[in-house]
Amino acid sequence: MSAPIAELCAKLKEHVGRSERTDLGVIRKEQFQRFAIAADNLDPVFFDKDAATAAGYPDLIAPPLFLSAVRNWQVGPPQDSLRTDGTTSHEFAFLPLEGFRMMGGGQELELHAPVTDATRVSMELRLDDVELKQGRSGPLLLIRITQTYRDDAGRPLVTCRETFVAR
Amino acid sequence: MSRSQRFFEDVSVGTRLTPLVKRPSTAQLFRFSAATWNAHRIHYDKPYALSEGYPDVLVQAHLHGCFLLQAVMEWAGPRARVTGFGWQNRAIAVPEDVLTCTGTVTSVGSGIVECQLEERNQRDEVCATGRARIQLPCRG
Repeated sequence: MSAPIAELCAKLKEHVGRSERTDLGVIRKEQFQRFAIAADNLDPVFFDKDAATAAGYPDLIAPPLFLSAVRNWQVGPPQDSLRTDGTTSHEFAFLPLEGFRMMGGGQELELHAPVTDATRVSMELRLDDVELKQGRSGPLLLIRITQTYRDDAGRPLVTCRETFVAR
Repeated sequence: MSRSQRFFEDVSVGTRLTPLVKRPSTAQLFRFSAATWNAHRIHYDKPYALSEGYPDVLVQAHLHGCFLLQAVMEWAGPRARVTGFGWQNRAIAVPEDVLTCTGTVTSVGSGIVECQLEERNQRDEVCATGRARIQLPCRG
């Protein structure tokens, strides 16, 4: 397995510093309210416009983790394109990760501005770094990615830094 | 649900956040996967999770993050602003685990409070750690 991991490392290194922006579309309150309910968080600033404005927001806001928790903003691949474990390799834009398992396990977020209902959002994904390491069960890659979410005026909403382990 | 407001003047290093207790169900994990368009079987397909060596389906990494962040926002109050947040998963959690999120203020200055966060299960094992930076309103 070390050869494919080393090859992936070499391929990814060619993409370090590269970024790509994707339009995520208009964020609707029903999307982030569904997320809030699934997270068992009924904070009124997500559901009640009066509560949101009383808290100083211009409109209903999305839970702060909403944008960076959604793994796939596109329609997703058809069933027969899913891997055995149900995941898809289409989640990381231009990165050539086909055939590898990516595991996250936490994020570092800068929350610049709240995401309000009906905001059009884009996401820029940048590959920051790739590091080949020897884990307890064999070689692995640490892939550091920054995702910057902006509104349609280009104002940053959320910056998310995340390190994935690829095996 | 209404949240009382925390003010900067009321907080000092060592102040403890109000604990938040969560007990995620299998249905909750399914709905969280659906809301995030996450088809990873490990969160809804128990036979698959067992085949990977886990005791049950697993609580999503981001759901741990949501629990920690909810603890912060409920403690801080509606006019507070969380400007930075991060978490790391340390151990798995499964449905019906009782997950308690706690936090302690580690620094205060210029209206900004920083705190360390922790989520533990019913066996007192740490499932996730985190930190948050919060802007709190001042009295008057």
